[in-house]
Amino acid sequence: MVNLLRLPGARLIGHLAIVVVIWAVLLRINDAVDPLMSYYLALAAMYATAMFGMVILVGLSGQVSLGNGALMAIGGYVFALTSLNWQTVPILGWPWNPIWSMVFAGFGGIGVGLIIGWIGARLRGPYLAGLTLGIAVGLPAVATRFPELLGGETGLMLTVPYPEGGYAPAVADVPLDESAPTAEAVPLEQAPLDEVPLEQAPLEQAPLDGEGAGDDMLTADNFPSADSAASPAAEDLLTADNFPSAAATPTEIALPLDTALPTDADPIAAAGALLDSSFVLERWQATLAVTAACIIGFLALNLVRGRQGRVWRAVRDDSVAAAVAGISPAGSKISAFVISSFFAAIAGAVFAQILSYVGPGAFGLGLSLSLLVGVVLGGRASLGGAIIGGVLLVALPELVFKVAGERGWPANITDNAPNLVYGLLVVLVVLVAPGGILGGLKDGGKRLTTKSSTRP
Amino acid sequence: MLTITELSVNYGAVQALSNVSIEVPKGEVTAVIGANGAGKSTLMRALSGLVKPGSGTATVGGVTITGRKPEDIVRLGVALVPEGRSTIPELTVEENLRLGGLWRDKAARNATQVQVFDLFPVLAERRSMRADTLSGGERQQLAIGRALMSEPRVLLLDEPSLGLAPLIVTQILELVSRLATESNLAVLLVEQNAVTALRVATTGVVLNLGKVVMVGSGSEIASDEQLRNAYLGY
Amino acid sequence: MTTFLDYLLGGLGSGAIIALMALSLVLIWRSTRVVNFAQVGQAMFTTFIALSIQTWTGSWFIALVGALAAGALLGVIIQYLVLRPVKRNDTSGAIIATFGVLIALQAAAGMIWPGGSQAFPQPFNNAGIEFAGRVWPISVYDFVVIGITALLVLGLTLLFTKTSLGLSMRAAAFNPEVAKLSGVRVSRVLTFGWALAGSVGAVAGVLVAPVSTISPNSFDILLVYAFTVAVIGGLDSLIGAISIGVFTGLVISLVSGYSDSGNAPIVALLLLALNLILKPEGVFSHHKARSV
Repeated sequence: MVNLLRLPGARLIGHLAIVVVIWAVLLRINDAVDPLMSYYLALAAMYATAMFGMVILVGLSGQVSLGNGALMAIGGYVFALTSLNWQTVPILGWPWNPIWSMVFAGFGGIGVGLIIGWIGARLRGPYLAGLTLGIAVGLPAVATRFPELLGGETGLMLTVPYPEGGYAPAVADVPLDESAPTAEAVPLEQAPLDEVPLEQAPLEQAPLDGEGAGDDMLTADNFPSADSAASPAAEDLLTADNFPSAAATPTEIALPLDTALPTDADPIAAAGALLDSSFVLERWQATLAVTAACIIGFLALNLVRGRQGRVWRAVRDDSVAAAVAGISPAGSKISAFVISSFFAAIAGAVFAQILSYVGPGAFGLGLSLSLLVGVVLGGRASLGGAIIGGVLLVALPELVFKVAGERGWPANITDNAPNLVYGLLVVLVVLVAPGGILGGLKDGGKRLTTKSSTRP
Repeated sequence: MLTITELSVNYGAVQALSNVSIEVPKGEVTAVIGANGAGKSTLMRALSGLVKPGSGTATVGGVTITGRKPEDIVRLGVALVPEGRSTIPELTVEENLRLGGLWRDKAARNATQVQVFDLFPVLAERRSMRADTLSGGERQQLAIGRALMSEPRVLLLDEPSLGLAPLIVTQILELVSRLATESNLAVLLVEQNAVTALRVATTGVVLNLGKVVMVGSGSEIASDEQLRNAYLGY
Repeated sequence: MTTFLDYLLGGLGSGAIIALMALSLVLIWRSTRVVNFAQVGQAMFTTFIALSIQTWTGSWFIALVGALAAGALLGVIIQYLVLRPVKRNDTSGAIIATFGVLIALQAAAGMIWPGGSQAFPQPFNNAGIEFAGRVWPISVYDFVVIGITALLVLGLTLLFTKTSLGLSMRAAAFNPEVAKLSGVRVSRVLTFGWALAGSVGAVAGVLVAPVSTISPNSFDILLVYAFTVAVIGGLDSLIGAISIGVFTGLVISLVSGYSDSGNAPIVALLLLALNLILKPEGVFSHHKARSV
């Protein structure tokens, strides 16, 4: 952040202008499209926010991390806990506002990022990847250890806070349950709510007396997450558990929103007189996600193009030479970690509001892997790659589902097709175009321009 | 035995070797000398197949070795002892030796191993110790021993004197020259340490910036003061 | 005290399986300096193949052999098509590629074997053995698991120390250039290493399936345990993988026994973090440092 100030003023204003234009355009789009598209926009912006951090960490600093999904969980849970439990900001006594929860979520990310970064800065590639993989699997499990505070396997429901007089009147007193659904939160919350009864409570540990002991060699006792992996939340690697609403059940969602609820009118009617008739939850969520993405994108842009960006690249390319030049490799790596965790935590807080829910299933290994997939496919070395990655993570499953629906593929093929495509594409990108889609486009552009210029 | 004809190697835009031709006869030591960066190690790496030459050929007894993989070149009877006492420290002395002739049948390999132990008795004494417990000179002997295990017709030695005490260097080079005559081996020795190398070499080749600037007998080169000043720096 | 010993005994079987999975990671790391994060995906895939064979033939033994062969083949295919073409200096690329393979394998398994978690038939009695007037927390199946693991470890030890192929593999791992100059066909040896690791992982998968369930994601946690074990053991060390693997099995059993099974992954993670802070080169490694 300090480095922001070292940028020449003109450049800073230039960056600001770019971001503000993008922000304004996206908000216009948000107002023009139907709620489902707004929802997708919100998801894509949320992914991009997290992946700005991945670009800095993986692309610029050269540290492959699988832990950013777990860091998003930190942001999501901090957001949920503070908005559920605080009426005023502690110590300061100011009235609580969702902005404070976002700020605290960011702090939470910074704190955890510092710890992981401190351990991770000492490690070479595969060690760091493995450690963060452990965090991606282990940290969500922590939530299940504290059922009273963190809601256990089932997670926590939250009402998405709206600004007063913005998109809708305050609805904080509307209880969010299935019998009294709030506007279009219905389809969004369907999946998480449905999962609750399906989810088994963590199996009680069978004491090692008699027969039970030998039976459970690797199941409930020793491989606890194996049974959580069998639960619906963790079933599908990349899609189902991450966006329980959109991706996992595309038909369920697409239908009520596109056909049964084609316009804003129907859901609002369902919500009764409590809501302003112009309110669309998805639109508010997209506004929030896009705004967060633009703020984070602005920070990222300045960092990447400033001195700090050069430091990260220098350490990635040759840490010894960088050290000789007076740069601390460890410090550079830790700073990349801290910043990417900050971004991830903000994205996690946004994600919590998009889902109106936080739970271990939503922030599992699948989310971490999809962040890696997105940033690799989009282009791991530049922020544009994160944006492409965000769009890809939302659009590709939908595209596959659409094709599958038209061709009438069976569910097992359809459900797994996006991940198969992701996996194969990731391998292909690493082998053929390490710069991802963005890098490929740039190369192609360069080739075109050089060709035309060298032509007599 | 080893005939190098107009061999060139490029690293990107840099030409590390250009049109180098050298004849390495049987039973003799041929020394390639020159300053740092003259292309000596590149020559060795090209002959052993570690780098692909841009053009030119090298043949052993009429069979072309250039363009082949290192593991095939060894089988054609060309063994390299790379720079820096290249033994595998995690393996024992005997394992390092066995490695050198792994592709040969067991009886032939064991017979050669006996010869190598005769040549380097210290290796026999330490046969079951890990290579990283050996001294520098012993490790150089082990590296040469490993190369000999393939029963080569051509032995390539890259800077064997590097980092060794002068006395040990002399011992090792004298042994190499004896080996050349007794086993009728063609030895190509690359050295920065020209004085020592020319003492055992029948023929000397001076390399500068990737080109051969002079070929002559060891004593001829050693007595050419102008040459010494220009290329060898002593 | 009896409870403590019971917990220890109960952890032996799972320790052996974790050790095998860690061993397969070590085998690949030693030869190609890649941590194969797709390893559990391969094991999952071959275990599904084994399940199909078992349903088809009714023989557990044929299923095990089938998984062994399929594991080797899959390892070779992945090494040949994916890891070999990755640029040598692109460490991040190699790591990312293995995760790509993992994702693709899990999706493919979901397509080929739909229906979520499936039970793998019990090949041997998995109830605690009754002996000397009490029921022990160890079953016939545990003995089979431990026996097969011991046999594999013995076989691998003999392979590495007594055979020419083993010596080639070690040389290729430690110094590929010297190995090539010695006439070792290094790329073939590396491919063989991937085949071997694939087989070892496949055995671990087939052994764990009857006491767990099998689904495309059910081995994810095993990957975390195996990686933890391989790193603490030193990534290079076969002995390290085996001993730390069994040790971790015991620790997990104790943690699950005295507190709650849900704490086991957290404890494993803490062990890993502690090891990376205090002794990042691992307990059994020859090499000094692994940091930048």
